[in-house]
Amino acid sequence: MRIAFVGKGGAGKSVIAATTARLIGRQGHPVLALDMDTMPGLALSLGIEVGPDGLPEELAEQREGEGWVMRTEVSPAELVERHAADGPDGVRLLTLGKLPGHVKPGSTTAFRHAMGFAADGWSVVGDLAAGTRQAFFGWAGFARVVVLVAEPTAKSILSARRLALLRPSMPEAAFVVVASQARAPADGPRVAAAIGLPLAGVVPYDAGVREAERSGRAPLDAVPDSPAMVAIGDLLATLEHAA
Amino acid sequence: MKVAIVGKGGSGKTTVAAIVARTLAREGRSVVALDCDTNPNLGISLGIGPERTLELASIRQSLDEEGGAEHAGTIDELLARFGEDAPDGVRLAVVTKIEKPNPG
Repeated sequence: MRIAFVGKGGAGKSVIAATTARLIGRQGHPVLALDMDTMPGLALSLGIEVGPDGLPEELAEQREGEGWVMRTEVSPAELVERHAADGPDGVRLLTLGKLPGHVKPGSTTAFRHAMGFAADGWSVVGDLAAGTRQAFFGWAGFARVVVLVAEPTAKSILSARRLALLRPSMPEAAFVVVASQARAPADGPRVAAAIGLPLAGVVPYDAGVREAERSGRAPLDAVPDSPAMVAIGDLLATLEHAA
Repeated sequence: MKVAIVGKGGSGKTTVAAIVARTLAREGRSVVALDCDTNPNLGISLGIGPERTLELASIRQSLDEEGGAEHAGTIDELLARFGEDAPDGVRLAVVTKIEKPNPG
């Protein structure tokens, strides 16, 4: 399964993406988590204490007429084997939001290079950059499910509406909404209706998760039975069905 | 006075920026609020509503599409043409270039 989580900053993408990746890992499937943000933070939500620094400089090279690109002689399998960080539940993490050298984050060749191994039975969970500028670079034709994460606030919903406009560029992916930090039962349906896409899950506001975030612990370790963690487990079942 | 507000997504930049802008305007200063986010939501926090906020961003986008950058006038002209009046007399403009999505 290949899932992309997108949405406004602070909506909860990283916590939901990290927890989803770990729950897939617990099922015994190989899973790769990709932090696509230029300011990476997924490692913290996964429970990797020291975030990876990103890929080493020597993986990039400057080519005549092409500018900075990823070296192709490093195979995708090697890239993951050598350079992905080890996380709990067998999750591997690659930080691709900031690429080595001067390879542009939006470089789809770099993304595809990194993704080349994904056909080999791996699940891939992407935590995409906030905002719409680099929203789906490289993920079209790759993601099977795109999850728009939105809080029940006007700003978060507007951001998700903008992202939903990009749907025609990814006809092969199922687009769904997850209402996050929901505080009332009506929040889920309201958020999904405002965005105009089906609701795949509701992750409630959860003081335990906030506290885990404050202390820098992975919510799945700090508060495994909290309502938000249970809801993300339910969400995963729905996404598996959608994909 | 020129103030730039930065930080992680969801930390409250937009809300703080909007309140600072309106507070300064209430003190009688002329205030221009510039939304420099690629996901421009400042209009919502200033109080012009989601629909108008969405519209402002597309006006900004049309400026690029008509190649207007070459004919860009003074800042005052641009604010008059592409800005929007928000409460307390704040003048809001979306500055960010919204790049067309490139799914690659």
